[in-house]
Amino acid sequence: MATQILATKLYAPVPRPGVVQRPRLIDRLKERLRGKLTLLSAPAGFGKTTLVTEWINADERPVGWLSLDEADSDLVRFLSYFVAALQTIAPQIGTNITNLLGSPQPPAETLLTTLLNDIAAIPGDFVFVLDDYHVLDSQVVNAALTFLIDNQPANMHLVITTREDPRLPLARLRARGELTELRASDLHFTLDEAAEFLNHAMGLAISPDDVAALEARTEGWIAGLQLAAISMQGQQDTTEFIKSFTGSHHFVLDYLVEEVLSRQPPHIHDFLLKTSILDRMCGPLCDAVLQDDGYSAEETLEGVRQANLFLVPLDNERRWYRYHHLFGDLLRKRLRQTAIVDSDELHIRASRWYEDNDFEIEAFQHAAAANDVERAERIISGTSVPLYFRGVAHPILHWFESLPSEILNASPSLWITYAWTLMAAHQSTQIEHKLQSAEAVLSGVEQDARFRDLLGNIAAIRAMEAAIRYQADTIITQARRALDLLHRDNLYIRTVVTRALAIAYQFQGKRAAARETYQEAIAMSDATGNLFVNVLATTGLGIIQTSDNELYQAAQTYKRVLDLVVDPNQPITCASHLGLARIHYEWNDLEAAQVYGERGVRLAHQIESIDSAAGGEVFLARLQLAKGNVPGALNLLNEVEEIVHRRGFAKQIPSVAAVRVLLCLHQGDVTTAAQLAQAHNLPLSQARVHLAQGNPAEALVALGSYREQIAAETWPDERLKVLVLLALAHHQDEELDEAITVISEALASAAPGGFVRTFIDEGQPMRTLLSEAAARGVIPEYTRKLLDAFPVEHRSSQPVSAQPLIEALSDRELEILALVAEGLSNREISERLFLALSTVKGHNRNIFDKLQVKRRTEAVARARKLGLI
Amino acid sequence: MSDTSNPDHPMIYQVRLKGHLDDQWNDWFGGVTITLEESGTTLLTCQVVDQAALHALLRQIRDLGMPLISVNRVET
Repeated sequence: MATQILATKLYAPVPRPGVVQRPRLIDRLKERLRGKLTLLSAPAGFGKTTLVTEWINADERPVGWLSLDEADSDLVRFLSYFVAALQTIAPQIGTNITNLLGSPQPPAETLLTTLLNDIAAIPGDFVFVLDDYHVLDSQVVNAALTFLIDNQPANMHLVITTREDPRLPLARLRARGELTELRASDLHFTLDEAAEFLNHAMGLAISPDDVAALEARTEGWIAGLQLAAISMQGQQDTTEFIKSFTGSHHFVLDYLVEEVLSRQPPHIHDFLLKTSILDRMCGPLCDAVLQDDGYSAEETLEGVRQANLFLVPLDNERRWYRYHHLFGDLLRKRLRQTAIVDSDELHIRASRWYEDNDFEIEAFQHAAAANDVERAERIISGTSVPLYFRGVAHPILHWFESLPSEILNASPSLWITYAWTLMAAHQSTQIEHKLQSAEAVLSGVEQDARFRDLLGNIAAIRAMEAAIRYQADTIITQARRALDLLHRDNLYIRTVVTRALAIAYQFQGKRAAARETYQEAIAMSDATGNLFVNVLATTGLGIIQTSDNELYQAAQTYKRVLDLVVDPNQPITCASHLGLARIHYEWNDLEAAQVYGERGVRLAHQIESIDSAAGGEVFLARLQLAKGNVPGALNLLNEVEEIVHRRGFAKQIPSVAAVRVLLCLHQGDVTTAAQLAQAHNLPLSQARVHLAQGNPAEALVALGSYREQIAAETWPDERLKVLVLLALAHHQDEELDEAITVISEALASAAPGGFVRTFIDEGQPMRTLLSEAAARGVIPEYTRKLLDAFPVEHRSSQPVSAQPLIEALSDRELEILALVAEGLSNREISERLFLALSTVKGHNRNIFDKLQVKRRTEAVARARKLGLI
Repeated sequence: MSDTSNPDHPMIYQVRLKGHLDDQWNDWFGGVTITLEESGTTLLTCQVVDQAALHALLRQIRDLGMPLISVNRVET
C-alpha cells in the first residue's frame, strides 16, 4: 500500500574535501555523546548539515540518516522513512512495524511502541540524524517524536538539524542534561575560521583587514562568506570588491547572488535558473526540464558541482543532487522575475518525467506547482489505487486547501477527490461539507455517465463514513446507491463499497445477504488484485460460514486468508486466527485452539483499539476452563473483564458474563451464576442455571421464548445451542422421547460440521443422553465418536498444588510447550510457528530450565500438573 | 477570534528586518510593500487574510536567514 522509499532521502552525506575543520564544535558535540539529543538550530546557511557530516564521519558508531521533506508530515510516511533509515544500520529489524504501516488506520501508540522495540533490538550504539526538521508542519509527528524521545532506548543518539526550534520538550531535556545544543552564535565562522576558509579552502589571498571586513559584513554567516568567495575567485582586485560590498546597504544575499550569477557563462546561468524548480535532480530529469540539445545536463551538473555552486550530492554515484536550500530559494526568486521563462511549463515537464519514471508523488507536486489542476487530479487518481490511499494524503490535502472554491466549483470531481483525501487522512468531520458542495455544483450538470459515476462516488463516501460509525441502515442505502451509479470500470471503489455492504448485512444479522455480498467482494478483489479488501472479505465469509455451522468450509476460508497474506504474522489476519481457534476448539483439538487463539490475540493487540483482542481473551479463558485449569481461566477472565469495563467494550460484556456463569456453575456457586444470567439477560445461561438447580420446567420456559426469537432469523449456530440445552431439559424432566427427538435434531445439524465440544462441554447429563440416543441408533457413527470424546474421568477442579515456577514461562514458551504436548517434533514446531529450528531448540532449553526437567515428556507432565497446558 | 479569519477584514502587519532588501522581493513575498529605511532596516507592510498567512510569511523570512527585528499589527 505504501509508496516506494526514495533511497536519496536516506543518504548520509560524506564530508567534502577542503572544508574548514572546526575542532571547537566537534569537541563540544563529542563531549556529550551519551545524551539523548543533539540539536543544531540555526538559520539557513550556517553549515549545520556540513558540521554533522564531519562529526558523524569521525565517530565510530553507525549512522542512520533521514533528510526530511514536507510530505513527511504524514505520520505513516514519516515512520516508514524512519524505519527505512534504521534498516540501513540493521536490515533485520522493522518487519512488525512495516506490517502495521501497511494496515489501515494503525493506532499511533501501537506503531510507536513497536518502533521503540525495533530500536532497542538494534545491536550496539548508533546515531540517528533527522535533517531539516523545520520543513515538517505536523502536530502528530511532533507528538510522535516527543513520545520516542521520552522513551528513547539508550543505544540511540538522536540528532536534529533545523531552522527553527522543534516543538519538542526541549526545556525538560535541557534541565535533565540530556540535550546538546549548537545555535547560530556557536556555528558562525570566527575570524580565524573565516581566514582559513577564504585563504585555504577557497584558495584566495586576502589580507587580514579584508577578512575582518568580510567577516563583519556577513557576521560570520557561512553561506554569505561562501558566495563572496565565489565572486572573488579569479578577480584581480579583491580589495575593491570588498570595499563595494561592505559599503552597500543591500541585503548581503541580494548583492552576493547577483555577483555570483553575473560571473557564470550564459548556459550555466540558464541551467541554474531552470533547474531551480527541482527539489532534487539527476541528468535525465534536467534534460527533460531544459529540452535543450545544445549541451548535456549530466556534464553541466558536474561543472556546477566543480564550481562550488551549492550542489549537494544525494548518493554515492553522482547521480542525484539538490541545491543547497538557501541557494535554491534564491535561484527560484530570480526565476520568477525572469519574464522570458515560463516556470509553469518547466514544472509540467518535470511532472511528465517523474510520471514516466513512476515517481507519482513528485509528478503530482510539480503538476500542482504548475497550477495544472487537471493533470494533478489525474495523477492523484492513480493507475490502480488512488495516491491518497497510499500514505501521502497530507500533501494532497494541502493542495486542496490552497485551491480557491471557484476552481473546485468548476470541476465537481475535485470536491469528491477532496472528500476521499479527507477520509484517507482521517479528517471525517469536514467530509460532508465537501460532498454537499459537489452536489450543489452537480445539480446544474448534464446527466451523462460521468455525472452518474460522480454521484456514485458521493454515495460511496457516505457509505464508508457510515461504516466507520457502524450505521448499518445508512451503509446499505448509500452502498446500494453507489453500486447502482458507479461506472462499471470503477473497480477499486466498487470493491471497497461491496465489502462495506456485506458488513452492514452482517451487522443486521442478514447472513444470506452478507454471504452473497462477501463472495462478490472476494471475486472482485481477486480480479483487481486488491489484496487488502480480499483479506477482509474472505475473513467476513469465514465468520458467516462458522455461524452457519459450516466449520470445514470456514476453516478452509480462514486458511485461504493466511495463504493470501503470505506472511501469516500480519495483524490483518487476527480475526482468521481467532476463527480457526474457535473451530479447533469445537473439534476438541484444544492445543491447536490454544496456538491459534494466542496468536490471534497477539496480532489483534497490534492493530486494534477495538475489542477483538478482548473477545479473543474471553475465548482463551473458556479454553482454560475446558482444559480443567480453573485458576488460569479465572485469572484470564478477571483481566479481560477489567479491560472490557475500563475501555467500554460493551459488545464483549455479555460474552464475559456467559463464561463467568460457566465458571460459577463449575465451582458450584449457582446463586452468583443465576444473578449474572439474569442481569445480563442471557437465555442460554439462564437455562443452564435452571438445569443446575434441578428445575427443568423453568429451563424449558427460558429456552422456548429464545427459540421463538431466533426462529424468525435463520441462525443455525444459536439454534444448535438451544437444541442441546432443550434436549437436556426434557431429559431432566424425564420426557425421554421428547429428549431423544430434540437431541436427534441437534446431532443431525451438528454432524456435517463435526461439532464435539458443544456436546461434551455439557458433561455427565449429556453423556447419559447420548448413550441412550446411541442405544436407539441415532446417527450411530457420529454419536459414538462424541461418546468417545468424553474424558475418561473428570479432571480435578481443585487448584493445582504443585510448586509454582520460580520464573514464569513467556508467551512464546507456552506456545511451544503446548505444541510439544501435542506431540509435534521440533522441526514441525519450527514450521508451524515460522521459527528457525535453532530458535525452537533454544526455547526448549529455557522451558526445561524453568520447569526444572530434562526431557520433553517430563516437561509436559510437569506443565500439566502446574495447569500450564 | 472573529477578526482572525474574516476575509472582509484583512489584517495589516508591519515586519521590520535588518538589512536592505531590494524591491525585487516584492513578488516573492506576495503583495508586500517594501520600504527601505535610513537606519539600514527594511520595513515590510503586508495585508494577510489570517494568522496562517502571517506565519507563512514569517517562515519565508526565516528561510532567508534575515534577522527579524519586530512584528506589529496595524489597527485599521
